[in-house]
Amino acid sequence: MTASRTPLLAINGLHVTVEGKQILNGLTLQVRAGEVHAIMGPNGSGKSTLAHVLAGRPGYQITAGTVSYEGRDLLALAPEERARQGVFLGFQYPVEIPGVNNVYLLKAAVNAVRKQRGLPEVDAFEFLGLVRDKMKLMHIEDSFLSRGVNEGFSGGEKKRNEVLQMLVLEPRLAILDETDSGLDIDALKVVAAGVNSQRSPERACVLVTHYQRLLEYVVPDIVHVLVRGRIARSGDRTLALELERRGYDWVSGEAA
Amino acid sequence: MSTPLTARIVEEHANAAAALPPAGPTAARRRTAIAALTASGLPTSRDENWKYANLRPLERLRFIPATATPALAATDLPAAIPGFARYVFVDGAFAPALSAPLDSTAAAVTPLAAAPDAGQASAAMAVQTPAPGAPADERFALLNEAFATDGAAIRVAAHSGEPVRLELVFVASADALTGASYPRVELQLDSQAHLLLIERHVSAGPHASFVNSAVTVDLGCGATLHHYRLQELAARAIVFDTLSAVVGRDACYRLHGINIGAQSARSTLAVRLAGERADLTLAVVALGERQQVQDTYARVEHAAPRARTEQVFRGISAGRARVAFNGKVVVGSEALGTDSRQSLRGLLAGPEAEIDVRPQLEIYTDEVRCSHGATAGKLDENMLFYLLSRGLEPEVAQRLLKWAFLEDVVARIGVAELRRQIEERLAQQLPEPAARAEST
Repeated sequence: MTASRTPLLAINGLHVTVEGKQILNGLTLQVRAGEVHAIMGPNGSGKSTLAHVLAGRPGYQITAGTVSYEGRDLLALAPEERARQGVFLGFQYPVEIPGVNNVYLLKAAVNAVRKQRGLPEVDAFEFLGLVRDKMKLMHIEDSFLSRGVNEGFSGGEKKRNEVLQMLVLEPRLAILDETDSGLDIDALKVVAAGVNSQRSPERACVLVTHYQRLLEYVVPDIVHVLVRGRIARSGDRTLALELERRGYDWVSGEAA
Repeated sequence: MSTPLTARIVEEHANAAAALPPAGPTAARRRTAIAALTASGLPTSRDENWKYANLRPLERLRFIPATATPALAATDLPAAIPGFARYVFVDGAFAPALSAPLDSTAAAVTPLAAAPDAGQASAAMAVQTPAPGAPADERFALLNEAFATDGAAIRVAAHSGEPVRLELVFVASADALTGASYPRVELQLDSQAHLLLIERHVSAGPHASFVNSAVTVDLGCGATLHHYRLQELAARAIVFDTLSAVVGRDACYRLHGINIGAQSARSTLAVRLAGERADLTLAVVALGERQQVQDTYARVEHAAPRARTEQVFRGISAGRARVAFNGKVVVGSEALGTDSRQSLRGLLAGPEAEIDVRPQLEIYTDEVRCSHGATAGKLDENMLFYLLSRGLEPEVAQRLLKWAFLEDVVARIGVAELRRQIEERLAQQLPEPAARAEST
């Protein structure tokens, strides 16, 4: 896969605190279009914080460092602007919103992106066709459309719904925060198929994961290990396998 | 307890008495009501169940009924609901020209002014009429009893078959300085009768009207009543509303309240589950903005075994508004096997807004199942961020979450056209920035 010269996402010396506690501690990372990166690390290493900071969640203080996306300052954008520019966060814990139905949210989200690009609102009929195809891929039933967002969904259904949203929105940069956690092997394969279906030279994906299991199905170009808020080691997919064998203590010890 | 306020009511009543028609309540009943009011006085904010209501406007109101009837056209009224007969009352008086009467033998709707005895035909009504020693919270009904000149007496015959569909539209047009509006409904369903009733209170023009409504409901054995009450009065109106209901054995009462309008509104609902397995659902939505006061007090009394109550309240308060719901359930010693649930939720949509939700339970027997939940808070930050992360504008996301908050109550409105109108009205109050942007 040919990577373009300018990174799609460039994080430089990022320091982030949450309620006065240092979580990210000089994190530097570059993701080029066409690449799939996996970010692994022990609990509390800052993986989810990184995902949330990139999506613009309130409550995180950025004390130093920069993040550029498509060459522009990502941190200056509001969360909804980031989404409309093509940044997507797949939540570790997708939120239940009873009373807002799935199809409404999907359509509102698609139209927000289209408005940004100066396109007219999506044709309702065409939209349903598009969504149904992707629902099939994600093994999601039709009745899902009229249900409340994630309302009463099982853990696996919520994760598949996150990937469905990603497929419908076609982001340039997808950040999936532990989308594999809590999935049985069948659901994991479905999620992986979804992620693989949107790999392309124009787009990039950052998989935040605790286990290497997902990486058997979505093969990453680069694997990073995050320890105490910075990248302790990077390598190809064999790094994930080595981590699996030797445990995080191996890298943590080195980084200390 | 004679106060300057009650003294003034008595005086206004004495001056008007000769002109009040012998209709609706008879002269004797009016006198009894005035005597009871003189004895008890109107509630004050020191009364426990009235502390959230706005009683100040009473000091500057006139209590005599408004008389000058404005010329209104059907287009001044809410769009008709298909399949529903319509009876319109302007400042409390029946307006036949604006009405489309019922074409059915299953029910009789009689304007009280046309049939002075209509209201007394039912013995149950007399029992329900607040009298000296009546529940203190129903005292505003005495005011209606003393002054009302017209209203609707409705009787649905036993085994009415297909549900009878009726809409009552009460229009307030007079300014409170010239006179008051006294909507009045006396409703009786005989055994196994079935009625869908829409009761709406609207304004003609922007006047600061004073509306004092009184509704009595008597459900016979196995009767079913779906009662949709919409309060959408103009922004400066003052309204006090009292509903007293008795629900008989195996009867089912679905009471939906949508309170949107007025400057200051107080609704007092008193429902007695008098027969075994009586079934009540009370679902109320209230929206407040600016300096509105929306106060609802509901008292449900379980007086028979195995009756069921579900109270659901959803209120949103914005601006400097106060939105309150005080829901009391009393389970008497005879009410074995009571099943009572309360879910009261308030949403604060502004830093200066106020929400008061208060579930209360009084239980005098064992073997009951009573649950209650009450919450008041702001929009959920996690939900909000989730929507923003999908590209929605903050204003759109907030509006969507407010909709979602009301959805489970609004969705219960079973009359499609009515639900559409209510959703449209709610949308005006929860404006959609995207729609506004497109129209400019």
